[in-house]
Amino acid sequence: MEKYDIAVVGAGQGGLPAAHMAASLGAKVVLIEMREVGGT
Amino acid sequence: MHLVRDRAAEYGVVGVDPQKLSFDLAKAVARKDRVVAWVHSGVYKALDHNKNITFLRGQAEFSSPLDLRVDGRVITVEKSILATGSQPAPASIPGLEQAGFITNDEALKLERLPSSMIVIGAGYEGVEFAQMYARFGTRVTLLGRAPRVMPQAEPELSDMLGEILRAEGVDLHTSAEVVRAGAENGSRYVMVREGGVERRFEAELLLVAAGRIARVEGLGLQQAGVEMQGPFVQANAELRTTRDNIWSIGDANGGAMFTHRATYDGPIAALNAVKSIGRQVDYRVVPWAVFTEPALASVGIAEEQARREGKELKIGLADFASSGRAKAIGQTAGLVKLIVDAESDQLLGGHILGPHADILIHEVVATMYQHGTAESIAKSIHVHPTLSEVVKRAARSAR
Repeated sequence: MEKYDIAVVGAGQGGLPAAHMAASLGAKVVLIEMREVGGT
Repeated sequence: MHLVRDRAAEYGVVGVDPQKLSFDLAKAVARKDRVVAWVHSGVYKALDHNKNITFLRGQAEFSSPLDLRVDGRVITVEKSILATGSQPAPASIPGLEQAGFITNDEALKLERLPSSMIVIGAGYEGVEFAQMYARFGTRVTLLGRAPRVMPQAEPELSDMLGEILRAEGVDLHTSAEVVRAGAENGSRYVMVREGGVERRFEAELLLVAAGRIARVEGLGLQQAGVEMQGPFVQANAELRTTRDNIWSIGDANGGAMFTHRATYDGPIAALNAVKSIGRQVDYRVVPWAVFTEPALASVGIAEEQARREGKELKIGLADFASSGRAKAIGQTAGLVKLIVDAESDQLLGGHILGPHADILIHEVVATMYQHGTAESIAKSIHVHPTLSEVVKRAARSAR
């Protein structure tokens, strides 16, 4: 089973900085996106 | 193209035959796609370089507050941050679904210019698309339910914007409620109640730009224990949802649905999730802009709202028509309006319709962020000749 500290659901202009911040604080992050990365 | 057509001669550009000008929408869309692809490529590079982030493509679905499935893959997480954004609200107008319509997504991907278009909704998206397609050459009807376009803007500014759209050929109808829609003989129609009278409008395309909801379908929020508040995810000032190990940011939470707000929320939710420090969002100064021409931009409180709250105010006003720079670039329509606390001289709000309003607003934003005064703008030296001098003139006029 895959384990992560933080899941960020959505890699738009909000999810991306959230994922980068969590990662920079040392968390193991999974970022999930079903559409286009970067949002609209 | 409208600029070339209408103003080439005025600016001394010789040899432009307005009759020979045409516009290729497919090429404009292709260029837009290249710009978007460039932006996205930078995003992917940043992700590739980050070893602490695993990227998965697919639909996420919570099966419990700690378990997610991503297209069959099972993942266990300690905490989650929802950043799913928003999507157009489902059509509530009878007949609209059957008539067929497009939303903002499709409106940016059309391959052929429609001869006519009815835009339903005269808010942020509605006014931008109405002007854009009217300038491309589409016959545009813009229908707004409120008495003014952009009802959240200052009345002087939204009235002025409405007049500008009308002058450009947009058939604008305010206080107009669409009661039903349909399709007939290859074109679409809407029935509109306007001043107690029902009128019929026809067009090739219907563009619906009326309201957005959180994009949470299929996410399994119920299994996650995350509750909604109306069409949006319920989150508190720490961006925490009703489930204590799940946070939510941006459009999905409703409120000010702007990209820059989501970008602000993201790191705060991450800090709270990873470090449990309970930081709260501060939405005191959230600007927005509408990218019409002239642009409309705003931050802080509206005059009417401030007066309702019983505040003693000074109002600063300055027009672009008196600006040499605005005259030089041929964009003299517009107004700067500042809302100032009469006692402390602190700026409470700034509202701009005019050339580059989307940029000019940031002087007001930075001043408001520091609880600064109108005097600080009025007395500081501004470069001449710039449009920023109009902001300064508005600050000086506050009384």
